[in-house]
Amino acid sequence: MSRFSRRDFLMTTAGAALASRLSGPAFAATEAPKRGGTLLATWGGFEPQSLFVPPGGGSSPYFTSTKVIERLVRLTVDLKFEPVLAVDIKPAEDFRSYLIKLREGVTWHDGQPFTADDVVFNVLEYWKPISAGVSLDALDSAEAVDPLTVLLKFKAPVPEFFLKSVLAGKSGLVIPKHIYAGSNIITNPINNTPIGTGPFKVKEWVRGSHVEYLRNEKYWNPSLPYLDRLVIRWWQDPASRSAAFEANQLDIGVFNPVPMPDVPRLTSGGKFIAETKGYSNSAWITTIEFNQRRDIFKKREVRQALMQAIDRQFISDTIFFGRAHPSIGAIPSSNAIFFTKDVQDYPFDPKKAAKMLDGAGYPVKSGSRFGLNLVSAGWFEENVKIGQYLKQAFEDIDITVDLAVPDRATSLKRIYSDYDYDVAVSNNSGSIELIPSTTQYYTTDGIVKGAAFRNATGYSNPKLDEIVAKMAVETDEPKRIALGKDFDRLVALEAPLLPMVDLEPVTIARSDVRNHSTTADFMGESWAELWLDR
Amino acid sequence: MLPRTIDFARRFARNRAAVVGLLLVILVIGIALAAPWIYPRNPLRIVGRPEIWPFVNSRFPLGTDSLGRDIAAMIAYGARTTLLIGLCASITATLIGITVGAAAAYFGGWIDEMLMRFTELFQTIPNLIFVLTIVAILGQKLEYVTIAVGVVTWTPIARLTRAEFLSLRDREFVQACRAMGMSNLRIMFGEILPNALPPVIVLSSLVIAGAVLFESAVSFLGLGDPNVSSWGRLIGDGRTLIRTSWYICAVPGLAIMLTVLALNLVGDGLNDALNPKLRDR
Repeated sequence: MSRFSRRDFLMTTAGAALASRLSGPAFAATEAPKRGGTLLATWGGFEPQSLFVPPGGGSSPYFTSTKVIERLVRLTVDLKFEPVLAVDIKPAEDFRSYLIKLREGVTWHDGQPFTADDVVFNVLEYWKPISAGVSLDALDSAEAVDPLTVLLKFKAPVPEFFLKSVLAGKSGLVIPKHIYAGSNIITNPINNTPIGTGPFKVKEWVRGSHVEYLRNEKYWNPSLPYLDRLVIRWWQDPASRSAAFEANQLDIGVFNPVPMPDVPRLTSGGKFIAETKGYSNSAWITTIEFNQRRDIFKKREVRQALMQAIDRQFISDTIFFGRAHPSIGAIPSSNAIFFTKDVQDYPFDPKKAAKMLDGAGYPVKSGSRFGLNLVSAGWFEENVKIGQYLKQAFEDIDITVDLAVPDRATSLKRIYSDYDYDVAVSNNSGSIELIPSTTQYYTTDGIVKGAAFRNATGYSNPKLDEIVAKMAVETDEPKRIALGKDFDRLVALEAPLLPMVDLEPVTIARSDVRNHSTTADFMGESWAELWLDR
Repeated sequence: MLPRTIDFARRFARNRAAVVGLLLVILVIGIALAAPWIYPRNPLRIVGRPEIWPFVNSRFPLGTDSLGRDIAAMIAYGARTTLLIGLCASITATLIGITVGAAAAYFGGWIDEMLMRFTELFQTIPNLIFVLTIVAILGQKLEYVTIAVGVVTWTPIARLTRAEFLSLRDREFVQACRAMGMSNLRIMFGEILPNALPPVIVLSSLVIAGAVLFESAVSFLGLGDPNVSSWGRLIGDGRTLIRTSWYICAVPGLAIMLTVLALNLVGDGLNDALNPKLRDR
């Protein structure tokens, strides 16, 4: 087994990145931002199906729509909520209602004023039925008290951090009522040229190539945005993004734009920096899931034994080139609020794993304990390698493995619709708030056949459901955090689905791009504050 | 029989390039057959440090890939996969092609029309996309990739067989057979086919080369069978490392290139040997 890591190598690159950052974004605050210029941007994925996909639609439309459409609040890297379209959000004493004060003088890109009616429309017609789903289950009513004040009423107490997380999250985009009212929000053709209140207006989307945005001259903050033009371009292949950086055709790329081995090469000259901040509110993990519909995996000892058979340090060091680390529990370590180390851990120990399987009633019979179908979702290149590694790791403890690495559509179907797998490797990105983005993988109400990125294992535990239900209405923050940790402990012990590694996505930027990666979900930020030191 | 074989060998050997091709093909077959003895372990096992360059460590003469698997072992086992798919796909394609082509030409009329339109239907679909679609529907198994490649490559064989049959079906010996009351099947496969076969065999050998390329493309795109070693998959896996460890792509790339070249050369040699009249073009 190879235990040589690339860590030494990465330590030096991290140092180089840190050093170059001293002259970069960290010092931006003291420098006067410069106006103008065109920023060429991309991300480590493909073109979206539409520039704005109301029910979500993944990272790609999220990236393109958030430059145009804003939210009420945003979460900074130090986990504080900052006002965007709302200047204040105040809970009542019983946490059953919230008063939202909106910003004055905000207009939509077509000149119409932004008012409380827009927000009420979003809450009732867009967020609750389409984007936020279960998060707003407790919502009773939304009304405009005056043109700049909205009152939300709930059937049960709603924790403040939870509600603000929903508003600052992927589902809280604010769309114009006068455009969408009376139409089907999901299929409205305006989604290809969205209209919002944001710092950038869509100029042109050239399919198969790029989307071009122009500065919104009437933005509510007159000094922003600093850029004149923003172009988001898509490449099919990470290696060509790396070439584009070197050919000056790309200024910034978020979410692992280039092949990992290229990162040190790009950053060593000082022309580019690698930044890992700005992903804490969309923390990516690679999970292993055990299908509870199979008798073998109903046994907890079997799930735990398989966890124990995986060398997750090897996955981090070799497959992710050090840009990942073994997970502890179900909550990514970047989650500064709910993460805890006090959970059942599964250090790599194949001998113990073999013993546990013997004990669980699966001794080696004619060379094999049992056979399993391993489905590794083929949407990330790393999953191909992880699948191949897991096959070997499980075969080392005498389990016969049939590996499949289907394409994206087939993977979604096999894992989340047909439940056609024994063990699956998948990914998800969760917010800092655990409900529902993390809990829906474990709770009974997360079992929704055909709904991607939910509880696909079929795991159901009344004790766990109870913890989550309590957490949903607990308004006292310390108590709520304690419940979150209880949830983590139980899930880590039961292991129906657990993260194997936390990914450490990286943003690559030219060193003259300033003021980036300052919020907890930078990719979904409006990028109004970015400027070019040229 | 014997003099004919010697004559055939002599004609084949007159094409020097074909002999080189044949030697290469024999070498690849030899490696494929010997793989389990040279590398008794599963070739997909991680055995060393990742990214060891070729000729650096004597344990890994061709280096290791990004996971630390022995490239030499994967190449050897990959030769099995490649040849197996190539051969089986070629047999599948030849069987379909001969059946369709022979039936179309021999019976003529509406059967010919129908079968040829059917052939054209297959010809109009871009081959690679067709293969990917079939694999995506059936699943990532070696046998499905083989079927997929066979299903897209039979059309030229069908057209060639039809052309050969058309030129033969009204010859005197065929009419004599008819007059003797031979059954259609016996005339088609017992009398006409042996005479029509030489060019078809040449084409079939080229189909093997094509099938090797298709398999590589499918595996390169990550749709091949992940449970077996394959040259195309190795290139696909090494793609992201092309700037730093280009040998991961280059070694299997070279293997594919040499094998396909060798198969083409053998095809040329077969053409010379089987169609002596064309020899002195």
